Amino acid sequence: MEIVVCIKPVPEAETRLRVAPGGATLDAEGVKFVLAGYDESALEQALLLKEALAGSKVHAISFGPAPRTEEVLRAAVALGADLATWVESPSGSAVDPIQVARALAGAIAAIPHDLVLCGKQAGDDEAGLVPSALGELLALPDFGSVVDLRWDPVTARFKFLRSTDAGGERWEAATPCVIGLQQAWNDPRTAKLPNILKSRKAAIAKHPAGPDLPGARSEPQGFELPAPRTGARLIEYKSPQEAAQTLVRILREEAKVFP
Amino acid sequence: MADFSLSAEQESLRDLARKFARTEMAPHAAECDRTPRFPEEIYRKAFDLGLMNLNVPVDYGGSGLGVFEACLIVEELAHACGGMTTSVIANCLALEPILLGGTPEQKDRFLKPFCAEYNLASFCLTEPSGGSDAGSLKTRARREGDHYILDGEKCFITNAPHASLYTVFATIDPALKTKGITAFVVPRSAVGLSTGKDEEKMGHRASSTSTVRFEGVSVPVADRLGEEGAGFSMAMRTLDQTRTPIGALATGIAQAALDHAAAYSLKRQSFGKPISEHQAIQIKLANMAQSVHAARLLTWHAAWTIDRGAKGTLESSIAKCFASDAALHVADEAIQTFGGYGYMKEYPVEKLLRDAKLTQIYEGANEIQRTVIARELLRQYA
Amino acid sequence: MTGPILIVGEVQNGHLSGPTLEAISVARSLGGSPSSLVGFVAGHDSRSTALEFGRFGVSHVWVARDPTLDSAPIAALALYIAAAATKAGAETILVGGTTLGRDLMGRLAIRWNAAVATGVTEVRRDGAALQVRRPIFGGRATETRRLDGAHVALALRPHAFPAPLDAPVDPVIEDLPSVPLPAAWLAPRRTGTETSAEGAGPSLGDASIVVSGGRGVRTAENFQLVEELAAALGAAVGASRAVTDAGWRPSSYQVGQTGRSVSPQLYLAVGISGAIQHLVGMLSSRVIVAINSDASAPIFRVADYGIVGDLFQIVPALTAEVRRVRAL
Ligand SMILES: Cc1cc2nc3c(=O)[nH]c(=O)nc-3n(C[C@H](O)[C@H](O)[C@H](O)COP(=O)(O)OP(=O)(O)OC[C@H]3O[C@@H](n4cnc5c(N)ncnc54)[C@H](O)[C@@H]3O)c2cc1C
Ligand SMILES: Cc1cc2nc3c(=O)[nH]c(=O)nc-3n(C[C@H](O)[C@H](O)[C@H](O)COP(=O)(O)OP(=O)(O)OC[C@H]3O[C@@H](n4cnc5c(N)ncnc54)[C@H](O)[C@@H]3O)c2cc1C
Repeated sequence: MEIVVCIKPVPEAETRLRVAPGGATLDAEGVKFVLAGYDESALEQALLLKEALAGSKVHAISFGPAPRTEEVLRAAVALGADLATWVESPSGSAVDPIQVARALAGAIAAIPHDLVLCGKQAGDDEAGLVPSALGELLALPDFGSVVDLRWDPVTARFKFLRSTDAGGERWEAATPCVIGLQQAWNDPRTAKLPNILKSRKAAIAKHPAGPDLPGARSEPQGFELPAPRTGARLIEYKSPQEAAQTLVRILREEAKVFP
Repeated sequence: MADFSLSAEQESLRDLARKFARTEMAPHAAECDRTPRFPEEIYRKAFDLGLMNLNVPVDYGGSGLGVFEACLIVEELAHACGGMTTSVIANCLALEPILLGGTPEQKDRFLKPFCAEYNLASFCLTEPSGGSDAGSLKTRARREGDHYILDGEKCFITNAPHASLYTVFATIDPALKTKGITAFVVPRSAVGLSTGKDEEKMGHRASSTSTVRFEGVSVPVADRLGEEGAGFSMAMRTLDQTRTPIGALATGIAQAALDHAAAYSLKRQSFGKPISEHQAIQIKLANMAQSVHAARLLTWHAAWTIDRGAKGTLESSIAKCFASDAALHVADEAIQTFGGYGYMKEYPVEKLLRDAKLTQIYEGANEIQRTVIARELLRQYA
Repeated sequence: MTGPILIVGEVQNGHLSGPTLEAISVARSLGGSPSSLVGFVAGHDSRSTALEFGRFGVSHVWVARDPTLDSAPIAALALYIAAAATKAGAETILVGGTTLGRDLMGRLAIRWNAAVATGVTEVRRDGAALQVRRPIFGGRATETRRLDGAHVALALRPHAFPAPLDAPVDPVIEDLPSVPLPAAWLAPRRTGTETSAEGAGPSLGDASIVVSGGRGVRTAENFQLVEELAAALGAAVGASRAVTDAGWRPSSYQVGQTGRSVSPQLYLAVGISGAIQHLVGMLSSRVIVAINSDASAPIFRVADYGIVGDLFQIVPALTAEVRRVRAL
């Protein structure tokens, strides 16, 4: 099976966010970029499928500026991806997620793909638009918020649970399709040191995003950090009952979060 | 030209070590210290990830890193637990004599099967009668045909109870002093080899340390490293390679102490404000930060010197000596920053002091390092 | 852009879902007169839900009765929504609900050539364009984004907007002509539906109160304390990864970086330390309350209210107090 995994470099979770000059975006100066959380799960899922299905290949693909995009692709290779393609961002600046999807679709269309795996959303912009846009652009069915993805060799179909606001839906789908993964249960592996060293020498294919991308339809205008949290107002009490009464009173009368 | 930036490769190695330290080591550090416990499962994972035989070339199944990369990794590991780090890097120490003095055939025979799986090795130099004065060691190696017979006792040997391979320094004739010292590779299975009980230690309690006894242990001549009498210089050259990573280990402990102290100072209130706003505490933190920074740079410089092919005796002695003194001082100041809480075992900083102490003692006590530094220094003036 | 606004109706338990109603109030606040508010529902028996639109001032509802939609992928639904938008001459599409919204927006961006945004918590007109605000970085920052063009589609974040007041009208209900669906889209099959967690209580995604337990709860059995408090509050139950990793509760309970993101009115963290990976899943909650025995736990830095104490004493007392107050 030819598995394409779309991965995105995002600031690591511990990053202290700062506003860039201009006020519209994150200040990326000095920020360390890593593989986005759900993408890491998606890559792990791809590797598990590859291990279960002889002859499969995992192709990691990422859109973005240097050097962070190249770094996450090398990280993917160190984890076990067979091939890596860097869809070069025409500018380093923030673009509309739909443009990203168009750029990725252009590259994916040119390579074999039985399954296109993405994280359901990235931890930075949290847009979650890429899987469904890829489905539309590649004329494939897509499924977002998928957990528990399995391949059934008997029926030659994927079986999975799609997590919805109301609960979940069980699905079966044949290849090719696009899947946006949301899964907490697979424990992404850690790359081994020798594989990290080998990944430094791996060939990264470059795919120009192309000048013919339509213009961005949305544009960031502001990036605001919440006022620093002052810390919790701690409730003083002499007995658990008193603590409970005080909290319930505050929640009803001051915070007004329940009647 | 000076360049203090890390390459992308170096950063990714450091990230790996940091992730392992945070997720696998740190959560168990307090428990392994308290019990004490030798967390073999963690050491196995370190091996699986390639964090164990750092200095062994890739061809022999190791990671093939230079001293600089090893230092980056060791500092990160030590930030989580000094004791575990000592046990993780003990193989580097024990295998270095084979790398330095082994024939290609010996390297093939000893290193390949050893590195292919999780295995521990121990470096057996120190003896009960003396560690600093290694030239006077007493363990005897008597030649009998195509074998040597080893008799004697080693002490304070890291990982000895769990090791499958020992590099042993013994003398063929005490009268020859350093010229009689010869190195051997001895497997755990050798008849007459035994290890003592785990020592009860002040710090590094996740590591294990014991005596190793040799009672008429027969070692084939083929398992001798280098010539008769070549052992002393092999041991010294080994320590030239591994001393700098001890500087990195000390730096990791110092950085952890600074991290704990700074974070605590922002939270702890006295006289109506966080203690971080009292100048006495700020000065403390500033001095700690200077020590940590200097320790790291000296370590990096020594590693860089050695990786360029120089012996680096002076540089590595300075780095090890300074960084270990800094670690003790910074850990001490961290406890002081915590006040009474720092003295309690429930808080992480008193362990750092106990762990830091060892770095002044092993792999050449700091008194010996200073002797070496003075000797190298004065040579330039004589 | 002041033309008609199409509101996508999501149906839950036979009624328009809470997030759909919130979408209606956004449409009204954007200046939509009843004549410009257009509803959409899918499914073979959607007449009653179509009528519900009328209660809140939506005067025209397009119904997609194609029975294949009951079990077809979202792609098919997106086709019908685009068709309805075209019929209605809509300039804006609003979807409430996160999962559905995310999956529709990428499709509509291409097929309906729309500027799109998800997870929107504020919307206002900005000349001919729309300006939206949306929490990003797990609620650690807020982005303002301008959406241009003749078509805009927005997925709104649940609980960010009020429910609409009644403004009854008698809606015109019209069936959409069937749209040919590509065969490939109909091949995948939905083989079942699961309601969340034992069917009790609301689901994490749309609950207005979430009570989450962490490692401090210590055992799978003790986790019932958290569930009893949630039941008393009518809340959904969440957990930290420490809990799901230990297998005390299934991974569907996990809130955080690799679990679910929630943004309820009230988030109660019980025995949770507040690791950054947990925080990014709940920071955009309106009010955060922490119960933890360790006064220095990072959770207290982000919480609005805190009780430093033993959860085994505090939580039962709190459950009793909530029950008492609710019974009044
Ligand atoms: C936890 C632990 C793990 C160890 N692991 C190993 C291991 O794996 N393999 C191994 O071979 N050894 C190991 N050692 C031994 C360690 O290297 C020695 O303890 C160290 O070299 C000092 O030797 P000693 O203890 O015999 O002290 P001594 O040599 O007796 O020294 C006592 C004191 O006198 C000072 N001193 C000695 N000679 C001089 C001098 N000429 N001038 C000035 N001062 C001097 C020393 O600095 C020290 O302060 C370990 C030790 C410990 C505690
Ligand atoms: C890549 C990655 C992704 C991750 N994703 C997630 C994620 O999606 N979600 C997530 O939650 N975590 C995630 N984590 C894990 C996260 O880092 C933390 O380990 C986890 O959130 C800790 O859970 P906890 O707060 O329940 O446990 P702990 O950190 O152990 O905290 C337990 C708390 O309970 C308190 N406590 C103990 N006993 C009592 C008592 N009797 N009364 C009151 N309080 C008590 C303690 O003081 C402590 O603060 C992720 C980690 C990584 C590396």
